[in-house]
Amino acid sequence: MNHIQITTRMGMLELQVDARFSNAIIIISGENGAGKTTLLRCLAGLEQAEGHLSVGGEIWLDSIAGFSLPPQQRRPGCVWSDTALLPWLSIEKNIVLGTDSVETEWLAELADMFEVKPLLQRKPYMLSTGEAQRVALVRAIYKRPSLLLLDEPFSAQAPAIRRRLRLGLKSLQGRLQIPALMVSHDVEDACMLADQHWHMRQGRLLHEIAQAKTGQEMLA
Amino acid sequence: MFEALFISLQLALATTVILLLIALPLAYVLAFKAFPGRTAMEVVVSLPLVLPPTVLGYFVLVMIAPDSVLGGAWQSIFDRSLAFSFSGMVFASVLYSLPFAVQPMQQALRAIPVNWLEMAQTQGMSAKQTLLKVMLPAAKGGVLVAAALSFAHTMGEFGVVLMVGGSIPGETKVASIALFDMVEMQQSDQAWMLALILLAVSFVMLSLVHAINQRGFDVGAGR
Repeated sequence: MNHIQITTRMGMLELQVDARFSNAIIIISGENGAGKTTLLRCLAGLEQAEGHLSVGGEIWLDSIAGFSLPPQQRRPGCVWSDTALLPWLSIEKNIVLGTDSVETEWLAELADMFEVKPLLQRKPYMLSTGEAQRVALVRAIYKRPSLLLLDEPFSAQAPAIRRRLRLGLKSLQGRLQIPALMVSHDVEDACMLADQHWHMRQGRLLHEIAQAKTGQEMLA
Repeated sequence: MFEALFISLQLALATTVILLLIALPLAYVLAFKAFPGRTAMEVVVSLPLVLPPTVLGYFVLVMIAPDSVLGGAWQSIFDRSLAFSFSGMVFASVLYSLPFAVQPMQQALRAIPVNWLEMAQTQGMSAKQTLLKVMLPAAKGGVLVAAALSFAHTMGEFGVVLMVGGSIPGETKVASIALFDMVEMQQSDQAWMLALILLAVSFVMLSLVHAINQRGFDVGAGR
């Protein structure tokens, strides 16, 4: 079981999330500014947060003990709206960046599954937005992370390919047995992928707000 | 004439190599670290841009005089004076061209998208790996510009090297000083030739800088 219990403040937003989740795909939805991306960034260690965080039996954050694992050691598989592909490296080199050796078979399998095989020897500027996004997805999964953080990972994909990508993501998540938190507004993503669904509003998970309300009502 | 030109080239080369080694960590610190005294450090690095070369030369001369700490230490180790020597000129030139090396690198490092650095972090890259595989390739243009400007600027020094080097033929008399002597002695043919050579060196170096800036811009745009 994985556990998030964090609070942080970012400008107007006050993020306060407390949730347990298994190694499943969790779809996160909510309006702009609800704190979805901030939540993912806190989990990646790119934003500071207070509280407790444990993933895959490992403690990533324990602010009472003054401990926060840096992003380098969390090594989450991330897809953000900016793909951050390094322009001077080939696609293949971008994918294996930060790993020690190239696992050829694993790379070929992922490249096949997410339809980037013909792109491997190209440079990032030759790619369309959708292709770059699929490369970012392969890069996120290739290093076998213990957590996937996907911020609208299919937003630039055509509907037909989206379906195939979902199937690929689902089967890989099952094989790697890791939790995947995925921000998406696509109803089909939610239907086909979600083991759990979190809806966020003003920095809180909605089902928690509901629980808190019932609790208050019961007390009253 | 060629002797003086050769000394100039040696001086420019030595200065550039040393400057790249010193200026890179300095540019890194100024680009990314916040600490008290940062602004003061930036001002000190930029001082040679506005300081009269003779003023800088005078302070360096005082600093490396045989009765100073630095000059005295040098004297006891190498058994020769640091003032009025080639090494003394290198020392002065490094200080004099420091802003020309630091500023392009600092700007290039600052221009690296935050997303790239965050990506390097979540990919599990150490600080050293990030420096070698992300930051330096991204700032390559800035490093090359720094090298070209340091080289050209050192070739064109006059006041500082005159104060610190003392214009000793065959040791510290550089091309720009030789040109001055030629004009004084009315050797106009030689003066013409040397002036043209120095002009050509500057022209080539600046063309290089512009070519790199153009390419650097393209890389930044992803092309």
